[in-house]
Amino acid sequence: MDKILNSEKSGSFPRFGKRRGKYELETSSFRLDNKHKEHDDDKVTGSDEISLEHGLKQGQVDQFIESLASAQDKSMSPEIPDLAELFLKVVNSRISTYEMREGLTKFGHNQEEDSSFFEAVTRLSKMVHYLGEFTLDSTTTGWFHRAKSVLHRAMSMLETEFQALLGISKRSFNAKVMDSKTPESPQPSVFNSNQHETKTEFLNFPPESIAIMKQVATVMIFAGHETECCISYTAARLNALDAELSKQGYENINTEDFQRMEWASQEGEIDHWNRIVKYLTTNLFPAERKLCNSIFEHASTAQRLFCDLATSVTIKLLAFPNTLLLIKQYSIEKLFKFLDIYETLCGLISGIGNELSAKDLIQETSLMQRRIGEAAVSMFCELENSIKSDNGRIPVANGAVHPLTRYTMNYLKYACEYKDTLERVFRQHNEKEGSTKQEPKNGESTNTSHFATQMMLVMDLLDANIDTKSNLYRDPSLRYIFLMNNGRYMLQKVKSSNDIYEVTGDDWLRKQSADLRQYHKNYQRETWGKVLQCMSHEGLQVNGKVSKSTLKERFKSFNAMFEEIRKTQSTWIVSDEQLKSELRVSISAVVIPAYRSFLARFGSHLNKGKQQEKYIKYQPEDIEVVIDELFEGTAASIGRRRLMHLSQ
Amino acid sequence: MNANEYQGSFLGRISIRRNQVVVMDAIHEQELEDIELFQKHVSDRFSELSSPSDDDAILSISWLRKLLDVFLCCEAEFEAILLMDRDPYQLSKPPFDRLIPELLDRAVKALDICNAVTNGVESVRHCQKLAEIAISALDQKPIGDGEVKRAKRALITLMAAINLDDKDGTNAKSTERSWSFGRRSGNKDRVAGQFRSLSWQVAKNWSAAKQIQSTIYNLVAPRGAEASGLPSPIYTMNVIMIFVMWALVAAIPCQERTGLPTHFPVPKQLNWAHSLIGLQEKIADEWKKKEKKGMAGLLDEMQRMEKSAQSLIDFTDSFQFPGDAEKLQEAAGHVAELTEICRIMEQGLTPLQMHIREVFHRIVRSRTEFLDVLEKGSLPVI
Repeated sequence: MDKILNSEKSGSFPRFGKRRGKYELETSSFRLDNKHKEHDDDKVTGSDEISLEHGLKQGQVDQFIESLASAQDKSMSPEIPDLAELFLKVVNSRISTYEMREGLTKFGHNQEEDSSFFEAVTRLSKMVHYLGEFTLDSTTTGWFHRAKSVLHRAMSMLETEFQALLGISKRSFNAKVMDSKTPESPQPSVFNSNQHETKTEFLNFPPESIAIMKQVATVMIFAGHETECCISYTAARLNALDAELSKQGYENINTEDFQRMEWASQEGEIDHWNRIVKYLTTNLFPAERKLCNSIFEHASTAQRLFCDLATSVTIKLLAFPNTLLLIKQYSIEKLFKFLDIYETLCGLISGIGNELSAKDLIQETSLMQRRIGEAAVSMFCELENSIKSDNGRIPVANGAVHPLTRYTMNYLKYACEYKDTLERVFRQHNEKEGSTKQEPKNGESTNTSHFATQMMLVMDLLDANIDTKSNLYRDPSLRYIFLMNNGRYMLQKVKSSNDIYEVTGDDWLRKQSADLRQYHKNYQRETWGKVLQCMSHEGLQVNGKVSKSTLKERFKSFNAMFEEIRKTQSTWIVSDEQLKSELRVSISAVVIPAYRSFLARFGSHLNKGKQQEKYIKYQPEDIEVVIDELFEGTAASIGRRRLMHLSQ
Repeated sequence: MNANEYQGSFLGRISIRRNQVVVMDAIHEQELEDIELFQKHVSDRFSELSSPSDDDAILSISWLRKLLDVFLCCEAEFEAILLMDRDPYQLSKPPFDRLIPELLDRAVKALDICNAVTNGVESVRHCQKLAEIAISALDQKPIGDGEVKRAKRALITLMAAINLDDKDGTNAKSTERSWSFGRRSGNKDRVAGQFRSLSWQVAKNWSAAKQIQSTIYNLVAPRGAEASGLPSPIYTMNVIMIFVMWALVAAIPCQERTGLPTHFPVPKQLNWAHSLIGLQEKIADEWKKKEKKGMAGLLDEMQRMEKSAQSLIDFTDSFQFPGDAEKLQEAAGHVAELTEICRIMEQGLTPLQMHIREVFHRIVRSRTEFLDVLEKGSLPVI
């Protein structure tokens, strides 16, 4: 434990060559001398090494380093003690020992041996660094260059080793450890090395391997070999990420091929891309970040490496949404897939966080997001255009709900499931336009939802369009039925979905209900106003006597009118059951009592028998039956009704 | 060369003119004048490109950026001629109902090339990092064995990266030669090879060379009456787009360039095309010389880097401490050259990448505008 702490401390020195300051020297002891007895498997150089290292006294090397660091006059070449020469030999022979070692990795066989080696290399790089500040004479120069050669040899080996470690996952590491006869490592079981294992293989470095990589990276960076270290790291991780994405089934698609696909296949590709990017954002990136942080002890290095990695992978993945922008934008149905992508990109940006090193990545991704957002806006606005341009001259038969109303409302309901995303999209869009376009109108509060504004615009357009369409009906009563049907449909859609209700709000509901009541009243007036006039008690009495001829006329015209209404209005359609029953109840409530009282008051004035039979065609109960058959879309319209059902 | 300058005056003039009520002949005459002006600008711009100053040799980073600027300028002008106040119906009639979709198809192909080349810039950047290691090792006095070995290790990896095969990221044949310099083997190829793997690809089995071939396919200069009308700028724009994409592919490493065409037919008698044809021939000659060797591309900076790196490898091979003064001086020259190249790359690669993306988005936008017009043109007139 003590040793590990020491080695970490030495590594935490600022990098040489960048800024030179007075380094506080660690006081840890030099441990080369009490180490290798433990492993006598290094037969080749083992005995030489032992005799060499016995010559090295604890702390002497550190003293030498300290003397170099604290020297005031650097124009004088310092004296190189014998122990420094010995030190070079020791390090050199340790490198040879490692280089000759067979097996997947050279480190990890003996933790103490490794740590002491890393410490020695760190000391060597300190010597080289401090000595570089001096003006050297010829003897010193000779030693200096030999030292640098040994250091390079160490760095080369560390770099190679670092690459090897980066390429080894848990399974092979365990296998390796087993080969190198370390008995305490658990035997990898045949049973757990199957599917389950391969699934989680990504970033499955054994902790001991990570610890070694961290030491290697620290030593390399300390010795000024940061670039080599980072290049190796980035290359290995990029490869691993690629392999992982490929295992997840990701494959780049070129624009041209994508362009030729049917929308159904394109949709599939979009879903796939979304899945991959989400996996990357939620699984791979956090894992990579963690790995960076556990190998590179300087937060800034770790952060930069992670961000470079993420940038590299992401920029390539962004080629796909770029391709999407080529899709003809004005098809309304594609909106939702675009919103999916927009959401995925949001996730990506927030997953990366607000790191300076990821500036390019964030910028590119946000730009992409804005473009996708703009495409989404133009798709949504295409809905407005298609409403505006829907001006067919043929009214829907029997006043039923217009397909445009159904389409628009179902679309809006679906859109409202994305309302938070749409809100962001429209806010972004309006902010961009805002500076050039209109100022918000007076009194309009600035925190009105951008999407709600847009959606209400669509609803208003739909209202206006339905109103125009209603004028295609020559019969005003049918016109009101049509308006009621469509208005009611909208109202029900809003009420049935919380998402859409939250956007429209209570005001809209109140207004819509008021409009519907008005249509209802107008219908009553148009259809039943004249009928009620027939039953008016006024004008029937001439000089205090009931005029039979007038009475007969009244009954005749009531019968005719009622018959006509029965004939036409039973073919009309009110599909909303509640609305239908409301209509019937309100009609009954007006007509039946009036008829009943009319009949009671004047029926007896007609002669019993023939006359009554001729003029009184309906009993009040009959009237009720007829009213209950209205708006069923019966008879002539049955064929059409079926069609309407199909299109729902 | 300023895109806005050309565009501004040009657009302004067109809109003023088109708002006036003029007889058809006058419109036609004006249109011919516009086309002529467009082609004159094309000619001027390419002649400027073909006589570059020392700072931006042909196919250098800054030259490529100028080329991209030329593309953007020409594209803006072209779009103005074809679309400004144009009756969409006209473009939906022959021969435009064929010419414009063909142009748009080529535009889509160009987009893939933009993506491929953007990825390729990454591998140039990778080379830059390796060169920087060599620089930091050799830019010291005095140079010792340690520095030399460090530099050599980086330079060999650099050469391996330069000679990486376009196709699958494995090393081309010729690199075995440079490997033999190293005593150690086994790990270097991994570092170099690692850099171009899956994500480097535009798509599986995609080939930049084939893509260029397919854009050239079917390109025919307008003849007869068409030669003087609107079909002629459409042809010009096609040629410019193909040339720009072709030059990018030749310069910057990208997926599979084996069999990159070295020639696409542009009739020599076309005045506006003189400089462009000259440039094309020059680049094609370079390509033919280099192609067999397997290389990073014709990017000027990369070629210079390759030369200096090779010289420095030779230097490190023969180096014995303390080194021959003359050779040391020579090496210092190469290091200075490498330093300069790395500086140019550091400053230029990111802007170049952004510039390529700008071209990408311009092509997308322009294509959308053309599609809109075509759509309007195909609607029945009310």
